[in-house]
Amino acid sequence: MCGIAGIFFKTQSSNQVLGKALVDMLDGCQHRGPDSTGFALYEDDVEGLRLRFIVDGDDPEAAIARIRAALADHGATIAKEKHEGATWVVDVHYAGEIRPFAYAMEHAAKLVSIGTALDIVKDVGTSHDLDATYRIGSIHGSHGIGHVRLATESEVKPEAAHPFWATGFADVAIVHNGQITNYWKMRRRLEARGFEFRTDNDSELIAVYVADKLAQGVKLETALERSVDDLDGTFSFLVSTKDGIGFAKDRLAAKPMVMYEDDSLVAIASEEVSLNRLFPGRPLSTTEPAPGTFRTWSRSI
Amino acid sequence: MVTIDLSKLSVRDGNEALRAAAERGEDIEVLNPDARHHIGVGLVAPVTVKVRGSAGYFCAGLSHGARFEIDSNVGWGVGDSLYEGTVIVGGNAGAIAGVGLRGGTVIVKGNLGSRAGQVMKAGTLLACGSAGFLAGYMMYGGRIIILGNSGERVGEDMSAGEIYVGGEVQSLGSDAKLVEPTAEDLASVEAFLAEQGIAFTGTFKKIVNAGTKLRYGVNEPISRPLPHTVFSEGGTYWNAKVAEDIHAKSLIGRYRIRGYGASKPVPHFGDIALKLDPERLAAVKDAVASVKLAMTLGERHGAKPLALSMPVLIAPMSYGALSKSTKIALARASRLAGIVENTGEGGMLNEQRAEAGQLIYQCLSGRLGWNIHDMKRADGLEIYISQGAKPGLGGQLMSKKVTKELARVRGIPEGIDLRSPSRHPDIMGADDLVIKVEEFREATGYAKPISIKMGAGRVRDDIKIAYKDGFDFVQLDGLQGSTGAASTEVLENVGIPTLAALQEALDGLREIDAGPDMPIVLMGGIKDGVDAVKALALGASAVAMGTAAIIAGGCISCMQCHVGNCVVGIATQDPEHEARYQIERQSDAIGRFFEVVRWQIATLTKALGHDDVRALSRDDLVALTPDAAAITGLPYDPTWATRAEELLTEVA
Repeated sequence: MCGIAGIFFKTQSSNQVLGKALVDMLDGCQHRGPDSTGFALYEDDVEGLRLRFIVDGDDPEAAIARIRAALADHGATIAKEKHEGATWVVDVHYAGEIRPFAYAMEHAAKLVSIGTALDIVKDVGTSHDLDATYRIGSIHGSHGIGHVRLATESEVKPEAAHPFWATGFADVAIVHNGQITNYWKMRRRLEARGFEFRTDNDSELIAVYVADKLAQGVKLETALERSVDDLDGTFSFLVSTKDGIGFAKDRLAAKPMVMYEDDSLVAIASEEVSLNRLFPGRPLSTTEPAPGTFRTWSRSI
Repeated sequence: MVTIDLSKLSVRDGNEALRAAAERGEDIEVLNPDARHHIGVGLVAPVTVKVRGSAGYFCAGLSHGARFEIDSNVGWGVGDSLYEGTVIVGGNAGAIAGVGLRGGTVIVKGNLGSRAGQVMKAGTLLACGSAGFLAGYMMYGGRIIILGNSGERVGEDMSAGEIYVGGEVQSLGSDAKLVEPTAEDLASVEAFLAEQGIAFTGTFKKIVNAGTKLRYGVNEPISRPLPHTVFSEGGTYWNAKVAEDIHAKSLIGRYRIRGYGASKPVPHFGDIALKLDPERLAAVKDAVASVKLAMTLGERHGAKPLALSMPVLIAPMSYGALSKSTKIALARASRLAGIVENTGEGGMLNEQRAEAGQLIYQCLSGRLGWNIHDMKRADGLEIYISQGAKPGLGGQLMSKKVTKELARVRGIPEGIDLRSPSRHPDIMGADDLVIKVEEFREATGYAKPISIKMGAGRVRDDIKIAYKDGFDFVQLDGLQGSTGAASTEVLENVGIPTLAALQEALDGLREIDAGPDMPIVLMGGIKDGVDAVKALALGASAVAMGTAAIIAGGCISCMQCHVGNCVVGIATQDPEHEARYQIERQSDAIGRFFEVVRWQIATLTKALGHDDVRALSRDDLVALTPDAAAITGLPYDPTWATRAEELLTEVA
């Protein structure tokens, strides 16, 4: 129950700041989800591997100490670190395999994301609240996705907010509007193959599903194509990887999605009002993706 | 020409300025709309509004008589429930363009999103480009013209109306068929296009209803079923009720339909006792005069609240399920008792409006009888999501009741077995619902309380949505709630009991620290003031009574409401049968019943030591059965059973 937004700059020299663009887009559709807000940003200044943890418990310092110990255990060395809002973010140098590393880090504290560019920032509050705490508006990067959430079945807390990182896979994130009705069936299939889930949220499933396909060498576009067949229910979702973004939409067309594309950028959102935030006062030539369709944009192409 | 700049004004202030200008007869230009929602919603004036850019959801929705020209795109639901007037969209339209049209013209120069013209009743929707998925979905009348391609499943479950496609018909929906347009049809479409200055040289295909699903194939034999109070589940398996049910199904080969609610024993208010010694009743004097019963409902967001003389409402029941005379009697009784009447599905009657002191107007999925004028003269607006008798399903009204007058009020074809949609066109989730609520507030100047009616399904989750989406109060209906027609399987088995529904609602609100600011009106098997006091003590703010009021007004509980031959003139549209119903006599009887309810609430409240119904609390209650204790969390204390029975002999 929510609103989604995503933006992808086709060239390095975009005149829009990534963080600012997403803050504005999510503010535009905040009415769809006032409980929490989140961003998956592909940033320019990540050194090595960036990890962000939620350390909002009674004793954040103890949580940070546990993370330090776990990092040291796995031979990861800290390049820079910051305690920001409810989170602790750290850039590390680490050369090993990501999935066991990620699962180990999760046992130390609530891990939000791992990426060589990806940084997921999510918390209770509005887009502007998060901007004030995490200075999202000044973050530069190539692309990103975002989400506003109205909590229905699960609690209002930072880790239940979107975007979801595809646990175990660096640089893959997802935002989703809708409801996956064959959630447990799909989840058990993935669990049987050794994947771990952190929440009962159906959006996390999409993230792991897509990342699993990518890890098998399937192209993002093909993964999205298969998701339209494999997932039941209502969904409009955006997925982001290190190289680009993509969307998929269910065959029932129950959840809205509008997109705008020009030579320099692609912007996708639940509502046109979010797209118009990027270009105030200008009528946009937008399109609505057809039911059951998917598409990707990537810099490498 | 007045200019309204939405980069400087909020939509709410903009709409206020727009209405003020329209009242003076001035045309309006809206600058920097930037796809904001609700532009021009509820405008009732013959002016022109030019929107210089894109508009968001529900542009020109619930308006009558104006001409809207939008330069660029529109979001979902352009021209929602338009009564008369013209809307011209220069770009594309999102989903459900022209939803629930009652008249007028919506022209989209570009493409239509999904479900264009859903549940429309009249008027014309024109797309110069192509339509999306499910164009004409469940339309009841009117005309859709698509110059481009039809999209998949065009005309899905349409009951009536016409769809013309100039391009390719990609696929036909269920119960839709292609027919050859007549010369008259084509002349009418061409005249319309010429009038709008739109050139088209291709040939049109015409799509209409195929008539395979409008009526149930086989009618259930009319028989007097075993009484409501005989339960099919109990001591014996193959009892008379079960056998009767099997016989009927073997004849008709489909599910059965009947009126009334679940007729099986579930934990209810009889399983809860007031912690009150019957002797204390003797000391109670002048309870009605000395206990504070009056309350207001609906001020949570600054609307003018409903004023109730006691925490009781009349439950929503439709003109359709019930005769016009019965609806008038209920309205009159509500006025006599100083409480609130509810239109239920299917629109507002003038006589009902005149008789009711206060009237809630319900908006249902089919938008039957839904219009801006009746919204304006209502005292409260209510979005029906579902009801206790059949959570998750739409209303049913069998053909005998779909008379000419009723069809006119609802805007549907006469004589069909009406099955209302199970979901709203524009409420696919909590995120859409919040935009819908805001549309109603904009259309009526934020002056009217907006409530939500929900059946007892996933109450714990649903109540949180109701709270977050900004409803003023909730009407919560348990499994025992009655209906005019539903399948017996659903009546008996879908949903959770009223007691459990209330408890889940309270628990859900507590989980999000919601506080007490969104009142819950509980219904579903509330039969008297004793039940009401228990409901209030558990945490409801008020109760609503439907079946009890109907019985007070002459219903004989035969459960044949769906057939349409009600012998006492209540659940019928047959003039001969309805003539038996004496409005004044029956409304007096209903009024007297409500005075007894008032006396019961006041007396029990005072005997419990309170001088205000709001002081009732869970401390005043015990559970008499382990089930009721498990559901409510009340202490289990069967030692109160004897005193509870004694108490009932004094007050019930």
